Amino acid sequence: MVHTTMEGSLFEPTLYIVKGMCILDNDGNRILAKYYDKDVLPTAKEQKAFEKNLFNKTHRANAEIIMLEGLTCVYKSNVDLFFYVMGSSHENELILQSVLNTLYESVSILLRRNVERRVLLDNLDAVMLAFDEICDGGVILDSDPTSIVGRAALRTEDVPLGEQTVAQVLQSAKEQLKWSLLK
Amino acid sequence: MSFKRDKKEEEDSGGNPYQNLDKTIILQEARYFNQSPVNPRKCCLILTKILYLLNQGEQKFTTQEATEAFFATTKLFQSKDVMLRRMVYLCIKELSTLAQDVIIVTSSLTKDMTGKEDLYRAAAIRALCSITDSTMLQAIERYMKQAIVDKNSAVSSAALVSALHLSSTAPDLVRRWANEAQEAISSENAMVSYHALGVVAGSRKNDKLSTVKLVTRLARSPLKSPYALCLLIRLAAQLVEDDDSDAAQPYIEFIECCLRHKSEMVIYEAAHAIVNLRKTARDLAPAVSVLQLFCGSSKASLRLAGARTLARLTAKHPTAVAACAVDLENLISDPNRSVATLAVTTLLATGAESSVDR
Repeated sequence: MVHTTMEGSLFEPTLYIVKGMCILDNDGNRILAKYYDKDVLPTAKEQKAFEKNLFNKTHRANAEIIMLEGLTCVYKSNVDLFFYVMGSSHENELILQSVLNTLYESVSILLRRNVERRVLLDNLDAVMLAFDEICDGGVILDSDPTSIVGRAALRTEDVPLGEQTVAQVLQSAKEQLKWSLLK
Repeated sequence: MSFKRDKKEEEDSGGNPYQNLDKTIILQEARYFNQSPVNPRKCCLILTKILYLLNQGEQKFTTQEATEAFFATTKLFQSKDVMLRRMVYLCIKELSTLAQDVIIVTSSLTKDMTGKEDLYRAAAIRALCSITDSTMLQAIERYMKQAIVDKNSAVSSAALVSALHLSSTAPDLVRRWANEAQEAISSENAMVSYHALGVVAGSRKNDKLSTVKLVTRLARSPLKSPYALCLLIRLAAQLVEDDDSDAAQPYIEFIECCLRHKSEMVIYEAAHAIVNLRKTARDLAPAVSVLQLFCGSSKASLRLAGARTLARLTAKHPTAVAACAVDLENLISDPNRSVATLAVTTLLATGAESSVDR
């Protein structure tokens, strides 16, 4: 994308608004991240350095928005997860805020309101699909969390025992034990 | 026994089953995709691991490895599982820049794009356009035009956004889809209308007369989508900037009208445009009072938006900003440091000695 807009002038009429989105854990490590503009943080190394810096500046102060390294970053955290949406510093902050709200709300519905790292990792595939449904190459694709979740969470719930994960088997074994003791 | 060991391993890595993944092991696991019948859940997990590795960006895939993984993934088209299919599309998109001969999936994707399953169609269009180059584009042109005006909003949006991406490599071809996109602007769905406006405006970027027509027509029949309105305000503002004669007056009126919209995003977009366009302090008054209100908001992004735009105004109209001194002073002790810093610098630029004392 070519940046023709100068400091203090009009916003550029473009659909390429989101420069990046990421979810970090409570050590500032990346769980998921996407950067959409090849001129902004092109390498994984630069991205991770930026994420560390971003995390250090934001994880204590829940101040919603920060201007950092020429980017406007809006953010939100819950328990041990941090959600960020980045845009150019010549961008309408409220549009970025709406993308963050969409991201957070979609993930929250997907995880049945248990927005925490463990649950997110158990549903990583669905969250990846949600990421992909929210933003396509920097263009906001959808802003409605229910329709996003409708297209990301497609798993049929009843899974035969042989295909369950270890955690699920343990969980159901625990439940059964609990009930047999309570009897 | 194995349960116990797995549990222990999980605890060691802080409960992240994706930590310590190794590229070579995953690529070996991907050979499992060749088995028939496909086990959707197991394959989904392997694809998730591949995507996770790509996303972490630390273990780089060589062209050969990426191609190998890509070809293994294409085997999964035999399964009808919706979740798995969607993960396959995602993998195709992520691997398409790294692997060779990715056009091999063109026919599978074209089939999904034109098929009955709506959940496949939208995602298949996006995946297809990410692997298609301008020479192949002609082959799918007919389907793309149909998809743009499809009843399903996800399909329509997917086609429009893909067209937008393609317009950087094949502008002439995509310009031929402008009629369909034009039709989609009036869609009931807010996102479709937004994306369509983006495509149409993009195709007319170098044609001022038709941009004038577009903006004039749409300014009279207000769009429902706040995003689309923001884009329209930007287009209108550009026209005003290029032409400050009386002919631009209707655009100014349209933008001022947007100051009374119910969405904050649109209100701010309009206020920002006016602040950067209007020449006299009196013309600015309605926009400045909106920004003043933003400065007192409970939402930090609104306070930042307000303070930042006022800060930019100081160079042009210090007096207009000086009128907001009290609101800006309240922001000096703002819990958000970006907001506080902006407020301080703005006050220093505009402040008289009297306000320094306070």
